[in-house]
Amino acid sequence: MTDVAITSTSTRSDVVPHGRTRAIGVLMIIVGVFSAWAFGLGSVADAHSAFTFTPVNVSSAVPWSLGQLTVLTRPTNLVLALLMIGLGVEVYVRRPSAPLVRFSIVAALFLIALLFWACRTPGPAQVPFVNLTSVLIGSSAIAMVLIYGSLSGVMCERAGVVNIAIEGQFIAGAFFGSMIDSTTHSFLLAALVGALSGAALGWILAFLAIRYLSDQIIVGVVIVTMMSGLSSYLNLQILTPYPNLNVGNIASNIGVPLLDKIPIIGPTLFNESGFFYLMAVLVAAVSFALFKTRWGLRVRAVGEHPQAAESVGINVARTRYRNVVLGGTIAGVGGVAFMATQGQFQVGYTSGLGYVALAALIFGRWKPSGAVVASIIFGLSAYLVNALQSYNVPLSSEIIGMFPYIITIAVVAGLIGRVRPPAADGVPYRRD
Amino acid sequence: MTTAEAPRRTWWTRYTSQSPSLLTFFALVLGFLIGAIVIIATTPAVLDAWRHIFHSPTAIFSALKITWDNVSAAYRSLFVGSIGDPRSFVHSFTTGKGWDTTMTPISETLTYATPLVIASVGVGIAFQTGLFNIGANGQAILGGIVGVWAGSMLHMTSVIHLPLTLVAGVLGGIVGGLIPGILKAYAGAHEVIVTLMLNYIIAFFLLYVVLSTALQQPGQSNDISRTIDHSAILQPLFGTSSGLRVSYGIFVAAAVVIFAWWFLNRSTLGFDFRVTGANPFAARASGINPKAVIILVFVISGGLAGLAGEVQMASTNHYIDGGFLIGNAGIGFTAITVALLGRNRPGGIVWGSLLFAALGVGGRTMQAMTGIPLDLATVIQSIVVLFVATPVLVKEIFHLRTQAQGVQLATKGWGQ
Repeated sequence: MTDVAITSTSTRSDVVPHGRTRAIGVLMIIVGVFSAWAFGLGSVADAHSAFTFTPVNVSSAVPWSLGQLTVLTRPTNLVLALLMIGLGVEVYVRRPSAPLVRFSIVAALFLIALLFWACRTPGPAQVPFVNLTSVLIGSSAIAMVLIYGSLSGVMCERAGVVNIAIEGQFIAGAFFGSMIDSTTHSFLLAALVGALSGAALGWILAFLAIRYLSDQIIVGVVIVTMMSGLSSYLNLQILTPYPNLNVGNIASNIGVPLLDKIPIIGPTLFNESGFFYLMAVLVAAVSFALFKTRWGLRVRAVGEHPQAAESVGINVARTRYRNVVLGGTIAGVGGVAFMATQGQFQVGYTSGLGYVALAALIFGRWKPSGAVVASIIFGLSAYLVNALQSYNVPLSSEIIGMFPYIITIAVVAGLIGRVRPPAADGVPYRRD
Repeated sequence: MTTAEAPRRTWWTRYTSQSPSLLTFFALVLGFLIGAIVIIATTPAVLDAWRHIFHSPTAIFSALKITWDNVSAAYRSLFVGSIGDPRSFVHSFTTGKGWDTTMTPISETLTYATPLVIASVGVGIAFQTGLFNIGANGQAILGGIVGVWAGSMLHMTSVIHLPLTLVAGVLGGIVGGLIPGILKAYAGAHEVIVTLMLNYIIAFFLLYVVLSTALQQPGQSNDISRTIDHSAILQPLFGTSSGLRVSYGIFVAAAVVIFAWWFLNRSTLGFDFRVTGANPFAARASGINPKAVIILVFVISGGLAGLAGEVQMASTNHYIDGGFLIGNAGIGFTAITVALLGRNRPGGIVWGSLLFAALGVGGRTMQAMTGIPLDLATVIQSIVVLFVATPVLVKEIFHLRTQAQGVQLATKGWGQ
C-alpha cells in the first residue's frame, strides 16, 4: 500500500510541480488581499451597494420583482476577500492537482467584489446599483459564442488537428448568416448556410492538413487572414451597394414555459434565442459522444496516438476529416449566433473572439465542460469591460480588458495547474 | 507508376522538381487566378452579362469581353498603382519632366515595404528556429509606443535622437518578445497562444497609453499620441518638396536584411538557431542550450518587430493612435505571410515584401479606379501563401514531378 501511495504522489508531482500549485495559491491570496484593500477598505465605512435583479428589457418574463439586495460595501467585500484568501490558503496547503475550479471561483468572487465596489452609493457611480441579471444576460451572449468556438476546437483538437481558424469560421458564419437572414428572414436557414460556410473552411483546413500534411497552425492563421480580407471585400462589393442584404435582425428570445419565471436564472438561461438552446444541446452531445461512446474513444485515440489507432483498424485520416469538418460546422453556427445577438454584419466585428474561444478551449483543458466554465469567465469579463465604463471606475476598462488574455497566458504557462493537450495535437499523420 | 521506365531527367524536370522559386511563381499564378474568379463572381456588371448569354448568339462574346475588361482593368490598376503607369514613364524619359509623379507608385510601394521587410525578417528568423512568432504585430506596436515616447518626450539633436528612438523601438519589441520567450523556455507555454494573447493585451495597452496623460497629445481627449520631434523623423529620401514618401528607413531595412543574412548564414549563433529549427534533439545533443536559443530568438524577432513599428511610426505616421497597426493594417500579420512567401530567407523576404507591398499599395489605386475593394489584395496574398505552404498541391495542379520528401513543419502543434 505504501508503495502505491508513494508512486501516486510522485506521479502527481510530475504533472503538477508543487511549486507552481503553491504559486497559484499565493496568487489567489494576493488577489484576496488586494480585494480586501481596494474594494473593502477602499470604500467609506457606511457606503452601501445594491444589486437589482429585474432585467430592464425582459421584465415581462418575470411576473414578480425580486426587489433589490442592498449590502454594506465594506463588510461584504471583506467577507468575499476572506473567502478568496481562504481558497488560496487551501490551495497552498493541500496542493490540489487541478486548482482550475478554485481559481475560477476566486475570479468570480473578485468580479462580484469589483461590482459591489463600483456601484457603492457615496461613490463616483452614475448608476447607484448593478443589475445582476442584465450583467448575466449580457455575459451569456458572449459566452455562448465562445462556447460554440471552443466546442469546435474540442472536436478538431481531440482528433489531433489544431483549428486556429475558428475566428475565420466565425467571420464566414456571421457574414453569410446575415445575408441569408436578411433575404429569407429565417434564422434556421441562416444557421444552415453559416454551418455550411464553416464546414467549407474546415474542409480546406482538413484537406491541406491531412492530405498534404501542411502546417496546421500556419494554414489556420492564413485562413483567418483570408476570411478577414474576403469579408471586408464582399462587404464593400455586395453588402454596401445592397443594404437590404445586411438588415441585421436580432434573433428573438424563446422563453421556456415556467422555467423562465425563475428569478435571475430564468431570464439568463431560459429566455434565450434558439442558438443558446442549440449550444446547450451541442455541449451535452459533444461531451457525451466524446467520452461515453465508441466513436469518442476512437476520436480521442486518433488525437493521442494515431499510429496505435491505425494499428487497431481506425481510419485516422477519415476520423480527422470528419471531426475538422464538424468542428468547422459548429464554429460556423457560432458565427451566425454571434450575428444574431449583434445584428448587422460589420467588418472585423468578431474582434478576435475566435482566438478567445481557442484560449477558452485550452483553459478548459480540451473538455466541453471545462470550455463552458472558461467561456463563462471570459464572457463575464469581456462584458464587464463595457459595462464598467458607466460606473466611472478608476480601474481603466483597457486594463480589465486584458484579464481574459492574461489568465490564458497563465494557464498555458502552467501557472494554474498543468494543462495537457492531446498528444498528437497539431502533428500531421502519415501512414507509412 | 508500375512502369519500369526511368524518368527522363531533362533540365526541365530537374528544374521543376527542385526550384522553390518556380513553385512560388505558380502559387502566384494560382493566387491571381482565384482573385480573378472572386472579381468575376462579385462584380454586378459581369454577372449581369453572363445572365444574358442566351439572349442572343453574340451575347457570350460580349460577356467574355466584359469579364476580361473588368478583370484586366483591376489588375492593370493594381500594376499602375504599385509600379507606375508605363505612359508616364515614357513621358518622363522623353521630356525629363514629371519624375515625381511617375515615381510616386514605386515610392509608395517602397514606403510600405520598408517596415514590412524588417518585421518579416524577424518572423522569418523565428520560423527558421522552429518558432512561430505570431505576435510580431503586438511587438511592433510596443516598438511604436516606446519609439513615440522617445521621439516626443526627449529633445536633442537629430544625430543622437534618431538612433536613440530606433533603439527605443527595438527595446520595446524586445520586451514584447521576452515574455513569450521566457514562458516558452521555462514553462513550456506554446508560443503561438502566448503571442496571440499578447497581441490583444498590447492592443489594450496601446489604447491605455494613448489615452493616458503622459503620451496623449496635449489638449486632445481622443486616442492620439504626441507627435514626435522633427529630429526623430526618418526624413524622406528626396526631400519633402518632392512629395515622394520613401524615407531613409529603407537603409535601416537594408541593414536589417544584411545583418539577418550574415547572422543566419555566417554566425555561430545563427547556425545554432537553424540546427535547433531543423532538429531540436540533434541540437540538444550537440550541446546547444535550447532555452537560451528560444529566448534569444524571441529577443531578436521581437526586437526586429519593434524596430519595424518604430520605422513605420518615424517615417510615415509620426504619431500613434488607438488604431496603430490594428486589424488588416497590421504589418505584423502581413509579415507572417511575407516570411512564408520568402521561405524565411532574408533575400526571399525582400522580394516577398516588395510583392505584398505592391499588392497593398496597388489595391488602393484599384479601389479608386475600378471600385473593386482593396481587400482583394489581402485575399490574393492569403491564397498565395496557402499554396506556398502546400507545395505538393501546387506540384499536383501543374503536374510537376514530386520528390518524396519528409514532412517539414515550421511550427509545432500543442501536442508536441
